[in-house]
Amino acid sequence: MATYARPLAQPQPHAEEHEDPREHLMHDPRPRGEMNAMIMESMHVTSWKFWMVTGILTLIVITCVGYAWYYMIMQGLGVAGVNRPVFWGIFLVNVVFWIGISHAGTFISAILRVLKVESRRPFTRAAELMTTFGLVQAGFSVFMHMGRVWLSYWLFPIPNERRIWPDFHSPLMWDFMAITTYLLCSTMYLFLPLIPDLAMARDRTEGGWRKTFYSILSLGFRGTEGEWKNLTTAMNIFAFAIIPVMFSVHTIVSWDFAMAQRPGWSSTVFGPYFVIGALHSGMAAVAIVLFLLRSTMKNYKYFIRPEHFDTMGRLMLMVSMAWAYFYFNDYLVPWYGGGKWEKLIQEFTEKGPLAPLWYTMLICNIAVPWLILWNKNWRRTPWLLAITGLLINVGMWLERYIIIPEGLTINRMPFTWRLYVPHVEIALTIGLFALFMLLYMLASRLIPLVPVWEVQEGQEAHIIRKIGKAEVSTLSDLE
Amino acid sequence: MSDSATFLAVFGDFEPASKGVDKLHELGVSDDQLNVISGIPVKAAILGRPSAITYVSRIALFGALLGMSLGIFLIYGIPYLYPLLVGGQPIFPVPQGIIITFEMTMLGLMGFAFIGMFVDSGFPSYTPKEYVPEISDGKIVVLFSCPSEEQNKFIDALKNAGAETVVPAEARHL
Repeated sequence: MATYARPLAQPQPHAEEHEDPREHLMHDPRPRGEMNAMIMESMHVTSWKFWMVTGILTLIVITCVGYAWYYMIMQGLGVAGVNRPVFWGIFLVNVVFWIGISHAGTFISAILRVLKVESRRPFTRAAELMTTFGLVQAGFSVFMHMGRVWLSYWLFPIPNERRIWPDFHSPLMWDFMAITTYLLCSTMYLFLPLIPDLAMARDRTEGGWRKTFYSILSLGFRGTEGEWKNLTTAMNIFAFAIIPVMFSVHTIVSWDFAMAQRPGWSSTVFGPYFVIGALHSGMAAVAIVLFLLRSTMKNYKYFIRPEHFDTMGRLMLMVSMAWAYFYFNDYLVPWYGGGKWEKLIQEFTEKGPLAPLWYTMLICNIAVPWLILWNKNWRRTPWLLAITGLLINVGMWLERYIIIPEGLTINRMPFTWRLYVPHVEIALTIGLFALFMLLYMLASRLIPLVPVWEVQEGQEAHIIRKIGKAEVSTLSDLE
Repeated sequence: MSDSATFLAVFGDFEPASKGVDKLHELGVSDDQLNVISGIPVKAAILGRPSAITYVSRIALFGALLGMSLGIFLIYGIPYLYPLLVGGQPIFPVPQGIIITFEMTMLGLMGFAFIGMFVDSGFPSYTPKEYVPEISDGKIVVLFSCPSEEQNKFIDALKNAGAETVVPAEARHL
């Protein structure tokens, strides 16, 4: 019968099967010297536009962080919008947001390194740098939130004569320990794989302060067998050990809320929900950074390719689905339980004056990634992925806003209900975003943002092999 | 006893470098008399070399134990000296102890892995060393010592194995 005679598929193979493996960075090798030269050129060649943007960002930082913070210190925390019952405002939203951003660096670098995901190679450092700078912003936000920042040493575990002893019962104390551990370890983890690239920069720099800078920071690294063995062993230890620390940090951040006996906060699912939320915003931020690096840095189009955006897009889609799952868990249980105060909070979130924030959050965190990231061609379009990343970050920032100041608006004492209206916090938030970008831009002039040795290592390990009529990518285990 | 000379043999790829190491072995150079310097980590087996010994893991383990001890001191030692009653919880809480001990253990583990890498590699070291900048451009360098009177034999053998250049090793500031 004719039905059986019909071929089961079209005679032309699917477009995906036609993909040339040589499009991948690992199969498009260039001599190491040439790659080094490309990276060094990207660090040295700076256009007037770069300095113009740097100048504007510096101005914003001076005004919005320097002056606004000075103003808040001189006038007192009263100039911020925080007041009864909302004592945790945008500063704490920013703490959670920036710690979330910082998670991507570790996730991308450590987990993909442990799992030997090859496409990680060119962008691990760009992601790791986000961890360090993200935590710097989170630290600033904590100090801003304190108000009397000069008394911040009271947080340290030092007993003092005022009987304000370190209280290890308090989640805030755990937070201090966890974030300090994470900041120190992620900075060391950033530095370790940077050493060979600093040595490369040292070898390619003739005199001047840069030569001194690279010579000092490369520590005398040559690349002997012993040095590589020590370095890779230390990197492996970090890659495995920093993952549980990463999970612990955002879990503990979630406990800052969940340990309080507050309706809307006291949830056992908050730990994993916060972790996945952190990854959601962090992944999205990496996509934005990759787009900006590829667009603005000379020669980066060779290193950062559509395949890398594809990898990021897949991860973002997966994390978005996981986030939706945890959010639904967190939403459903109080909704089903029908507790008076939980119900009031949910109604306030969905129908109150700030309801547009809730809908925007759901659209940005779920609808946008699910509509865009299923398509391979769209995932491989850098600007589209960057816009998706931007919207996800808007959604994730709003999520934290809904949890913290909006969640505090409704409590068990209706006579205290009051809408939180931020004042000086807005300027400080803008300033922190500018500071993050400024730090990143300055770092891009000083350190190689692509780990060239890791790229070369990957290229050495990959070969194209012909199987039947197809050319396939093959990986040999050089590590 | 004859004088010895130290040379740097520069190779462009793993294959000739591996042959070069074999030649040196044949000429009586033992593994502890030669070193391979490269721009990427190379598995010892690729060049037929014994795997380098590292103490980083052991140092890291020591750090983890130290961190754990510090964590236990913080969570149990400080409340012992300065007891603080909060929320009807015990002065020496076990669940909170797990959190603090975990963080301090991980800090110790990674901190000492970092320090261990420095100690075991002799970093930082700013004294002159045998090196050529081509290494960071992807070349593989075999650094070896041989008797001065036989140096030509070694140089020829390495050039036949595929060495691009074989030059006397000079210590230089990096």
